[in-house]
Parts: sequence; structure tokens; C-alpha cells
Amino acid sequence: MLSREEILNLAALARLKLGGAEVESLQKDISNILEYVGQVSQVDVEKEKATPFNYNVMREDVPAPTLGKREELIKAFPKEENGYNVVRKIIQKDE
Amino acid sequence: MSSLNELSITEASKKLATGEITSVQLVEACLAEIEKRNSSLNAFLEVFSDAKEQAQKADERRAAGESHPLLGIPLAIKDNILIEGRKASAASKMLQNYIATYDATVIKKLKEAGAVFLGRTNMDEFALGGSTENSAYGVTKNPHDEKRVAGGTSGGSAAAVASGMALGALGSDTGGSVRNPASFCGVVGLKPTYGAVSRSGLIAAVSSFDQIGPITKTVEDAELIFNTIRGQDPLDSTSIGMENIKLQISNNKNIGVPRKLLGKGVEPEVLAQFEHSLEKLKAQGCEVVDIALPALDYALSAYYIINFAEVSTNLSRFDGVRYGLSLKGESLFDDYATTRGEGFGAEARRRIMLGTYVLSAGYYDAYYGKATAARVQLRKEFEDAFKSVDFIATPTMPYPAWKVGEKSDPLAAYLADIFTVTANLTGNPAISIPMGTVEREGKQLPVGLQLTAAHGDEAALFAAGKLLY
Repeated sequence: MLSREEILNLAALARLKLGGAEVESLQKDISNILEYVGQVSQVDVEKEKATPFNYNVMREDVPAPTLGKREELIKAFPKEENGYNVVRKIIQKDE
Repeated sequence: MSSLNELSITEASKKLATGEITSVQLVEACLAEIEKRNSSLNAFLEVFSDAKEQAQKADERRAAGESHPLLGIPLAIKDNILIEGRKASAASKMLQNYIATYDATVIKKLKEAGAVFLGRTNMDEFALGGSTENSAYGVTKNPHDEKRVAGGTSGGSAAAVASGMALGALGSDTGGSVRNPASFCGVVGLKPTYGAVSRSGLIAAVSSFDQIGPITKTVEDAELIFNTIRGQDPLDSTSIGMENIKLQISNNKNIGVPRKLLGKGVEPEVLAQFEHSLEKLKAQGCEVVDIALPALDYALSAYYIINFAEVSTNLSRFDGVRYGLSLKGESLFDDYATTRGEGFGAEARRRIMLGTYVLSAGYYDAYYGKATAARVQLRKEFEDAFKSVDFIATPTMPYPAWKVGEKSDPLAAYLADIFTVTANLTGNPAISIPMGTVEREGKQLPVGLQLTAAHGDEAALFAAGKLLY
């Protein structure tokens, strides 16, 4: 079973604050689910490597109308000032 | 005459064309049914207040000489498909007040055709689930037994069509999200070929699996909506022009059945209905053969690993900075973690955690790498299978709708997707068609037959579907 620390580490990587009891239930659920999906370990990877079915789709680099009007997009900002999105200062002074 | 809201799209369309009825009358009949049943079924999260005005406009367009089979037809739209100027929440608290700033390509096409949008329908949050129990706005109940789920993730759309609150609906299918609720509610649901329908304006769950598809009362109706919304779109680079796909049209209707997969977990009465459908197809001149698809053993595992990985990636955009829920903490990190912890429901949080795990250094090859290989293997096996058969048939779901709250263990709920996930892994089109009912506690519960066809061969699914239903 995944440890409490492993769950908390995943939550930090995923930027998720978890409820207290949730850590325990996730330890159990995530371990069960990983055990089940771990069946894929039996798949022979080498055999399939040479045959990708994806390909790139390219287009000409020409301007085209964008989706959504500026005013409407601005309305969705959590905090707006003079048409700009106000965000938290991320560069702090050294202490 | 039956009530107007009970008509199929094709029937209503004929009556509209002859002037026997108007779109306003159709919409009024649907709104009356919504008034009656939506408070207990919880299929619609919002009924658009201008539905009748839209219908009036459609009637005016018809009077001006326009004609399209969907002109004036009232449809329900899943809450993860954007309609400009209207809310689209993906049934999440994260997007509770989010207003779409543009039309999804499918919506643009439906507007051009003149369809009327009745409202937005309930779903599992961000299309994660299989029962609409993961909605932040309550469960959608099954119209055939309100103690049971409608299926999911497009549960609201399927319940709306099955109960006559809408003539048809759009859903989206990531691992069965159109076909599963269609099976549980007794309606038709199509998951088109990957790329057949543009995903522009669909709130992404798993980008390499998602397809928008119709949920309707008849196969003919599904075909009608599909033909209206399909087509290559410069706004979705994964969309394809179907004319590029070469089909080998066969006159023999060969149906392959992966018998080994049916051996475990399918309820006997569902299996009996399945055999009955096969008999009907045989009577119509189809040949049924047993086929082996060894990679199916890994399908569910591969599906869920890729699902977790892409969900954790797609949902990372919800951070409270540009739109959606935005909560403040003590630091920037805290802003993100609090917003995401509060905004996402339990299943979304669980899948984000699982996706973060399977993509982390040290585990990537063991999970995501293997899952991708299994996907390639399965796709090759399907391609080979479609050289000798025209369809692959299974039940859509191993059982009828379960009771609300019955599947509280997440893994148990995942296992219900055994038959539906393969078409998303391989990109093949698949349809669920009602194949009868099974009795549970005195209620007749619908079950669906799933047919899968070669890439781009939706036409074969419609043809076979019409033989049955």
C-alpha cells in the first residue's frame, strides 16, 4: 500500500489540498487501482515500438480569427484591473 | 396522436416540413415534460429561458424557405459542450459560473441547421465516471426506475431523451460515456470514429479518446445528427475528412463475437438478450463467428492508465488564475492547492493523483509506456479482425443500471466499462442499440447491444442498427 508520505507527495506535485480522512482512503483506493492496472506490465513493449499510428498535422502559419472576444475573456478573470488579469506577485525578495 | 415530445426527430421533422406542427409547439411539449419530470430526474442542470424564442426563429426560417431535417428540433446539450454566452460547467464546482466565449464546432453546425437548444444536461464531473453520480449537482435518475442511475457520463442527455424531455441530445464519449447511459436508459448512442467529429469547444477529459456523439430514440435520428455535426475542422487538428478513409465494403454481414470476453462478469439475463439479438441478425442473413482478440485482456488497464494520465494533464489548466473558481491561500502554491482541492470533486481528485503517479519519473515506463504499447497492439488486432468481419458485437454493459450508491468502490465502477473502452482505445466507431429489457425488482430495465465497425464505417453501424431497432 502507498504510504501517507507518498500520497502527500503526489498531492503536492498535483497542487491538490486533500481533506484529512481523504489521505487514508486514497492510500487504499490508489493502491487497489494501481494493482489492477498493473496487469499491463505483461505487455511486450519491444514488439510494438516500431509501429506508431500517430502522425503530425501541420498547417500554414497564417493569421486567422481567434475564438472568443477580448471583452468576454476578460470577464472570466477572477480579478480584473483596467483590462488586465491581476495575479499574485511571484518573485519575492531574498530574506 | 402521441404527445409531440414523444416523437422521434425523423417523425417530427416530417411534420414540421408539411406544416402540420411548428417548432414552438414541439418546444412547448418538451418544456411541459421537463416541468413534470426534471425535478425528480435531475437530467437538466439548466433549461434555457429563450428556448421558445429559438423555436420562433426556427419557424421564421422555415417560413422564409429554409429546410433542414434539424430545423426547429429541440435538443439537449451535455454541460461540457460550449455554447457562446451560456454557462458550461462540466458539472463541476470549478466552472460553476463559467460562461462560454465561443461556440463549439458542433454547436455552430447545429445552429446553422436550425436546431433549438433546450438546456444543458447533467454529467459526471469533467466526464469522469460512468453513472452521473460524480456530478457536483446531484445524481441523474434513471427514467425507468428512479432508484437507479441513468448511467454516464452523459447521463443527463440519455435520461432527457428517454423520458421525452428532448427529441435528441449530444453527449461525449471518452470510454463509453454516450453508449453506457444509452444502454441504461433504453436509447440509441453513437461514439463516432475518432476524428470524425470536431472536439473544438468540448471541455477535454481525455483528448486521445474523447468524441462527441448523438443520443437519440432511433438509429435514423442518430445518423441524422451525426451527418450534421461531422467533418474536418481546422480548429481540431485530430479531426479527419472521412472521405480519406478507404472502406472495403462487404456484402456479407459477418459479425465477430469475442466469446472469451463474455465469459466473465456478464449477467445471465443480459447474455440471453444478447444471444437473442444475434439470432435476429442471423435471421436477417448475417453470419456470426467467434473471434479472438488477445489484447482485450489488457484493454481496461491500458484504458485507465491513459485516462488518468491525460486527465491529470488536462485538468492542470484549472488553477484559479485565468477563469473558474479562484480561492486565495497563504502563498501562490496554496492558491493553486486550495482552489483545486475545493473545486474538484472526489473522483476528479483521485484521477489527478493516479495520473500524477503513472506519469512520474520511475513509473512512466511501467504504466504509461506499457499502456501505450497495449493500445497499439489492440488497434492492430482490431484492424486484422475487420479484414474478416464487418462488426464486432458485445453487450454494451455487463448489467442493467445499478442502484444509486451501489458501486461506491471506484475500481468496481471502472470494471463496468469492460466492453465500451476498446472503441476509444482503437478509435473505431461503436453504437449502442436497445436490445430488450431485464426485470429487476418488478421494473423492466433496458439493456443495449454494442456494435463496433471499421474506422470511418458509421454507415455500416446505421445499416445494421436499422435491422434491429
